[in-house]
Amino acid sequence: MQNIDIIRQNPLKNLGYETDDIVPEKGFGAILARSGVGKTSFAVQIAVNSMLRDIKVLHISLEDPVKKINLWYKEVFSNLAAKHDIQDTSNIWETVIPNRLIMTLRVEGFSIPVLEERLTDLIEQNVFVPNMLIIDGIAFDEKAPALLQGLKNLAEKYTMRTWFTILTHRHEDPAPDGMPLQLSDVKDLFDAAVMLQPEGDKIHVRPLMGTAQEKAGASLLLDPSTMLITASTE
Amino acid sequence: MMKNDLNKIRNIGISAHIDSGKTTLTERILYYTHRIHAIHDVKGKDGVGATMDSMELEKERGITIASAATFCAWKGHEINIIDTPGHVDFTIEVERALRVLDGAVLVLCAVGGVQSQSITVDQQMKRYKVPCIAFVNKCDRSGADPARVSEQLKEKLGHNPVLMQIPIGLEENLEGIIDLVSMKAVYFDGDSGEDVRIEDIPDHLSSEAFQKRETLIDTVSLFSDELTEAVLEEQEITENLILAAVRSGVIARMLTPVFMGSAYKNKGVQPLLDAVAALLPSPGDVENQGLDLEKEEEPAILYSDPEKPVVALAFKLEDGPYGQLTYIRVYQGTISKGSDLVNIRNGKKVKIGRLARMHSDQMEEIDTIPAGYIGALFGIDCASGDTFVSPGTRITMTSMFVPDPVISLSIVPEDTKAQNNMSKALSRFTKEDPTFRTHVDKETNETIIEGMGELHLEVYVERMRREYNAAVTTGKPMVAYRETITRKAEFNYTHKKQTGGAGQFGRVEGYLEPVEEEFVFENEIRGGAIPTQFIPACEKGFAQSMAKGPKMEFPVTGVKVVITDGAAHAVDSSEMAFQAAARGAFRESYARAGSIILEPVMKVSVETPTEYQGTVMGTLNQRRGLIVGSQDEGVVCVIEARVPLADMFGYATVLRSTTQGKAQFTMEFDKYKQVPKDIEEELVKKAAQGKKK
Repeated sequence: MQNIDIIRQNPLKNLGYETDDIVPEKGFGAILARSGVGKTSFAVQIAVNSMLRDIKVLHISLEDPVKKINLWYKEVFSNLAAKHDIQDTSNIWETVIPNRLIMTLRVEGFSIPVLEERLTDLIEQNVFVPNMLIIDGIAFDEKAPALLQGLKNLAEKYTMRTWFTILTHRHEDPAPDGMPLQLSDVKDLFDAAVMLQPEGDKIHVRPLMGTAQEKAGASLLLDPSTMLITASTE
Repeated sequence: MMKNDLNKIRNIGISAHIDSGKTTLTERILYYTHRIHAIHDVKGKDGVGATMDSMELEKERGITIASAATFCAWKGHEINIIDTPGHVDFTIEVERALRVLDGAVLVLCAVGGVQSQSITVDQQMKRYKVPCIAFVNKCDRSGADPARVSEQLKEKLGHNPVLMQIPIGLEENLEGIIDLVSMKAVYFDGDSGEDVRIEDIPDHLSSEAFQKRETLIDTVSLFSDELTEAVLEEQEITENLILAAVRSGVIARMLTPVFMGSAYKNKGVQPLLDAVAALLPSPGDVENQGLDLEKEEEPAILYSDPEKPVVALAFKLEDGPYGQLTYIRVYQGTISKGSDLVNIRNGKKVKIGRLARMHSDQMEEIDTIPAGYIGALFGIDCASGDTFVSPGTRITMTSMFVPDPVISLSIVPEDTKAQNNMSKALSRFTKEDPTFRTHVDKETNETIIEGMGELHLEVYVERMRREYNAAVTTGKPMVAYRETITRKAEFNYTHKKQTGGAGQFGRVEGYLEPVEEEFVFENEIRGGAIPTQFIPACEKGFAQSMAKGPKMEFPVTGVKVVITDGAAHAVDSSEMAFQAAARGAFRESYARAGSIILEPVMKVSVETPTEYQGTVMGTLNQRRGLIVGSQDEGVVCVIEARVPLADMFGYATVLRSTTQGKAQFTMEFDKYKQVPKDIEEELVKKAAQGKKK
């Protein structure tokens, strides 16, 4: 198999997810971690992997400027290429980059009508028809259920998979169902969720939901220097 | 009379976006420093125009193109101001101006805030490590919000801004400012705000002022142990203590103090001048380096010592009513009337005649220009960017980044008189601006001008008409396409001619392959299959072929040529024969090397009200643009895209009409990229039609 095909495989699949997409069409996925552990970088890895498989990704950030997110993408891609010893990276990058569009919205300006208006703009002007959304930076607080329901409707209307980053807190007990508090109330809307957990000098990627039973308990590791998924540790 | 206290000199630029009011601000500065005695509007309702806009064209358009240098004095400090252009098409001028500055005032609009062009200017300031202070202008306008602009400095430009003042009233109620260092209210009385009145802070603003002062002290104490100590030990915090801390932060480029006011309404300018004197570095605070030509261009530190040998940079040429003026920054030594200097570029010795310091288009004759100063020389023949040194000194100033032009235009003079004037103008412009180039097309015999964008060329054509009275007609703008190869291809070519007399013989064997650099030639021949004396001829032959690609006659780039074998004839081989063999080998192998056409792609940034976001994206998309992203900035959004230059012609008009004139864009060269197949076919077709004609 050529190296380029290897990087097209979703490394998350090793956690026991059935397809490279991890979440089904119109489905929701979540990446949970404490501040600074690498949620955005991880979300970008999922996005780059999808872009390499010709999936159009609309990255919506409520926190960082376009320039910074663009840099994340470049870095994740070049680390990935270096890891698999892929030459001619600029040509591959040029082919995949049209599969991505970054949109930053202000936290206070983020709402379902605004997002839908932007999406309609993109689609009607034939600028970009996304198959996947990455939503980075919305608060999973008491307003989240209504917002997520609205997003679910959008995902269904426009047939998009959606990944969210969810900020957790250090000294917080899980909900009675064992899920992190932020996810517990809305978990029915989600099809897959992974938690990034730093332990010592390692960062584990642990599946919280959506994996096949037999792989439950599996975890992956992130390389702390590149934040790329490295080996699986079962 | 020129003083000579380095600590009291400030060489500053006023950098900003078009329309943020920097020309008005400069005008007010000159008024309060008594360099001018009346104030005019930029667009000149009174038909005079602001003093810094010395070019007629600038007056008409209300924009500043040339970086006129001017001098003024404020409270014992001597301030040299370079008025920098705001449009991105003139970046070479901005960059050259920034090169000679020690500090800058970044002017921002209190309503528009940090706009796309401010971002470009800021990047340039970063490149040349110019410390800056910010002035939020137009606080009298409806929608003014200086605190928001300060936030934008952080969010959009990554500065560490700190408010030094807060406004007393805003928009039409702007009365003055509160100085958070002295904790006094400052008002500007008199017809032109010339009388500064200091009062106590109005009661309704005192709690806000105390709160903001706390933030100021918190932020700047990082730059002063003394201040931190004073805060911790609850000692008195003096004005000087705060200012010294701010100054350290500014010089280290880790802090941007934010001032505010309205130049147009004559408010806040004098405190800004105080800040220039108190916070921006003197030439002695900045380390300048040249390149030592005796030591393979090793960096050489220059000392602002008037006694040392001269090192000076000519950063701007101007043809004015007094003849040719060369603006010069002296980094080391002293330039004196009657002394000899050497232009390091061509080794020519020049005798310094008259010296002056300029106040826009008026001048003041002086005898010397010491280290740290900016002045002007008369009648010196040189180009912008030339270094002048004392005889025996071999230092050149760092070579400046000069991008290759991406667009060209043919110009035809309408008559003989215009022809002569056009030649004069072109000779001047190419000396002034290294990104503006000109040549005569050998085939069409037309004069071609080249530059960095449509507006860049347009302005020069207009200047030709107005300043040089050269009536010219222009052709369609042409994109600077290039050719390159994508794979390795071998060659084995023999050039052989026997037509009576001495024959010609040369054989070269080797291969071409793609490479990052423009052109690389390697000789791997062992055993003298081609005699050493003919190897340079081979290289020359290949290099000649790069000028006009066999595919479309565009310049070829990114080719490595390796010769591995060959053959020569004792009598018939010559340099000419090997040059011809190399050209033949190039032609032969090029067709098999997967040649493609490259086009310049521009980094385009459009700032538009949010409601036009979709429409603007649509216009970029129609132009083969790749949209990188869109950034929400509240009422406006900034769309970043990469668009081929070929599709950007006339975009300004399209953008204006689709957004009711509410959006604006900037563009700069990003990189060369392969032209899609369908466009390539079109180009081939066009070229064929052109040839038929």
